[in-house]
Amino acid sequence: MRDPRKHPVPISGVVYGEIIYWLTVGSSFVVLLGTIISFIETQSLVSSAYILKSVLTGKNVEEIWLGSDISQIPDIKFYITTFNFGESITILGIAFGVFSVIPAVFCASYFLWRSRNPIFAISAVFAGIITICSMLAGVLWA
Amino acid sequence: MKNIKSLPELFTLIVATVACYLFIETQINLSSLDSIGDLSSIDLIVLSFLLSVLIAVIAVIAGVGGGVIFTPILLAFTSIDTLIIRSTGLVVAMFSGLVSTGPLMRKGLADVKLVFLGALPIIVGGMLGSLSAIYLAKHLGETSDAIVRLLLGLLLIFIAVMFIFSGKNMEYPAARPKDSLAMRLKLRHSYWEDSLKSTISYKAIHIKMAVFLFLVVGFTGGFFGLGGGWAVVPVLNLVMSIPLKVSTASSGVLLALGNAAAIWPYINAGALIGVVAAPWMLGQVVGGIIGAHILASVKASIVRNILITMLLASSLKLIGRGLETLLGVEIPII
Repeated sequence: MRDPRKHPVPISGVVYGEIIYWLTVGSSFVVLLGTIISFIETQSLVSSAYILKSVLTGKNVEEIWLGSDISQIPDIKFYITTFNFGESITILGIAFGVFSVIPAVFCASYFLWRSRNPIFAISAVFAGIITICSMLAGVLWA
Repeated sequence: MKNIKSLPELFTLIVATVACYLFIETQINLSSLDSIGDLSSIDLIVLSFLLSVLIAVIAVIAGVGGGVIFTPILLAFTSIDTLIIRSTGLVVAMFSGLVSTGPLMRKGLADVKLVFLGALPIIVGGMLGSLSAIYLAKHLGETSDAIVRLLLGLLLIFIAVMFIFSGKNMEYPAARPKDSLAMRLKLRHSYWEDSLKSTISYKAIHIKMAVFLFLVVGFTGGFFGLGGGWAVVPVLNLVMSIPLKVSTASSGVLLALGNAAAIWPYINAGALIGVVAAPWMLGQVVGGIIGAHILASVKASIVRNILITMLLASSLKLIGRGLETLLGVEIPII
């Protein structure tokens, strides 16, 4: 059915979209900062020249990290504790962008509930809880 | 250009990215870095960014994850470790969908109810698919995997053929008999179709079947590590009678949400390497914003043609990989 007038857009969708959009754009600047620091830092345990060379020559993940100055496979805790390294800033920036869905689903769920769409509000809450569990499982088991 | 000026955040991001790469190209001692042929590592990073922008624009318009394009290219043309390619592929599959969520929701092209209707079955199906893949790999080996890949490839060709022969009817599906569950869930909506300068209203149908199919899509996505973009659009458009543009927009948003849970194990396994993933992530963000604005004004028939091409390309890849494993031969083009 076609209608020449514009209809209003649901607030729950707009809130969901805006939160993800701005947090993702923000995370891009963090990733950009991490990239610059990766190349200019001289005292890093994670040298970007070494990593790039290893990746391009086809080394696997284990060989790359165990052959680096950190001599261990990094996890999210490593990146948090070494947040001043370019590589860590870049990974945390990407993680921050992914994290954006969590506040977005809970805010959207609130507005879906208020607009009398309880099934979708509950579905959004469950989707958020599963994503949090996945993130926490990674952090706690690391 | 007009769009870029009206989006200061996009303009700032493009300028900052160009300045960053110019700085690295001119100020960093390139002799300490490895190279491939005439290209230095920095050149490869800049090329990765540009390719990522292009992939993101196509992915957002077609409603598929960019991983469908990214992963085969890198697997075919580089010697980079497959785990690193898959983790970076997940970033590629996710970020264009994440950043395009804003413009698509703002314009009413993506439907938040459809997103949350599909989110749970896709996430649960994805988890079941991953667990089944691990179980089958342990007990049945690669042959069963190859057979399912082959069948999946044939299914995609069937879906592509349906899109070809259903023609314009599926761009703006006609009103169908009412679905009582859809009525109770208030699954009806409208969006402004810029190319027609009018508002298009639609009502969803076949909700129970769609929820079951989302579960299947999630399962196959988790099982094969494919992402589900190739199938979410057909479920929304062909099964639920949602207009094609809303289907592609909602598919991208849904995939980004579905993949958000999958990235953490890769980060904790050290498989996501920042300096490699960064240009791809930045390209997806820039291309995702551009793609979302193009989708609003592009004709639905163009979206349909891009989607058919993507479906056929994915099916060729799947059939090729299935035959490679079953027959023990290498098919170089695929």
